[in-house]
Amino acid sequence: MNVIRRAASTADRQALVDIVPLAVPAIPFGFVIGLAVTESAMPHWIAWLTAPLVFAGAAQLTMITLAGSASAWAIITAVLVINTRHVMYSAALAPSFRHQPTWMRWFAPFLMVDQVFALAALQQDRSPAEFRRYYLTVAFALFAVWNTVIPLGMLVGPIVPDSWQLGFAPPVMFAGLTMFAIKRIPAGVAALVGGCVSLATVDLRDRLGIVIGALAGVLAGAIAEQLITQRANRDRASTDLVRREGASS
Amino acid sequence: MNTGVALAVLAAASIGTYFARSGLILLLADRTLPVMVERALANVGPAVLAALTINLAVGEGGVGSIALAEAAAIGVACAVAVWRKDLISTFVAGMLTLWILSAIT
Repeated sequence: MNVIRRAASTADRQALVDIVPLAVPAIPFGFVIGLAVTESAMPHWIAWLTAPLVFAGAAQLTMITLAGSASAWAIITAVLVINTRHVMYSAALAPSFRHQPTWMRWFAPFLMVDQVFALAALQQDRSPAEFRRYYLTVAFALFAVWNTVIPLGMLVGPIVPDSWQLGFAPPVMFAGLTMFAIKRIPAGVAALVGGCVSLATVDLRDRLGIVIGALAGVLAGAIAEQLITQRANRDRASTDLVRREGASS
Repeated sequence: MNTGVALAVLAAASIGTYFARSGLILLLADRTLPVMVERALANVGPAVLAALTINLAVGEGGVGSIALAEAAAIGVACAVAVWRKDLISTFVAGMLTLWILSAIT
């Protein structure tokens, strides 16, 4: 029992250490959204509610800024397109939820933003209990930060100087996380193709390039996987043949 | 935008976002998938993260808008991540590169 408790508290600590560098860059973004709320054509209390209910920065900013200049349907479509990548996060994390209780399967996705996915995707070797502790610690920490900085942004506006360039911190973090996620050759191929296709489609609206790049990457990774498997089977077959010939002579 | 429409937009966005996040977890968690599918899913993480990195780094300004300092920051972050396997070192090295090169160039 003590071993399980120790492992769980280690998972908590690790989760808190891991989320700090991802939560810090979210702070200026949260302030920007807070400021956008104060300038939105949407009733401010409803714009503020996007933080706890939608909990997705890019989608929130889209809703808040499009209100008043686009139709309701256009806003909803834009939000859903921006969040399409979450479908892929959901697919990727599904195996980790196989041994989780029902409440966790229903509740955890509510908190699954980019940063939570990025960290959780690297924890698939943990036991179900440790994974749950890690996921919830990371997710609640980020939820708390997000729901603190947006009201603060509404109150004090952008206090972080532009010269800090913290707006560029998320891609820096995601670049590192991409490297952590590459553990096998097909994953490397998936990342390389995903990145290149995303670059080629970066001009598309609503950040659609992320989804297209990701799909291309997954496809390329699957092809690489298939080629490696075929090659391994061929090598195994020729080794068996050599062994049989050696035995018969 | 009136309150009723804004509330409807908020509800649709919240519910749609939730089901985008939960749909496949709820659908796939109880099923044992073929090995090939499981392996393909393992590639979703690196593919999405790489696509996200590039899209966020380049931004809406297009390929021509990325500065040398920004490209170098991404490169250094990747190298430090591979070398140190530590998120804080990656963040510090990437941002220091960005600040130093931005100041010089």
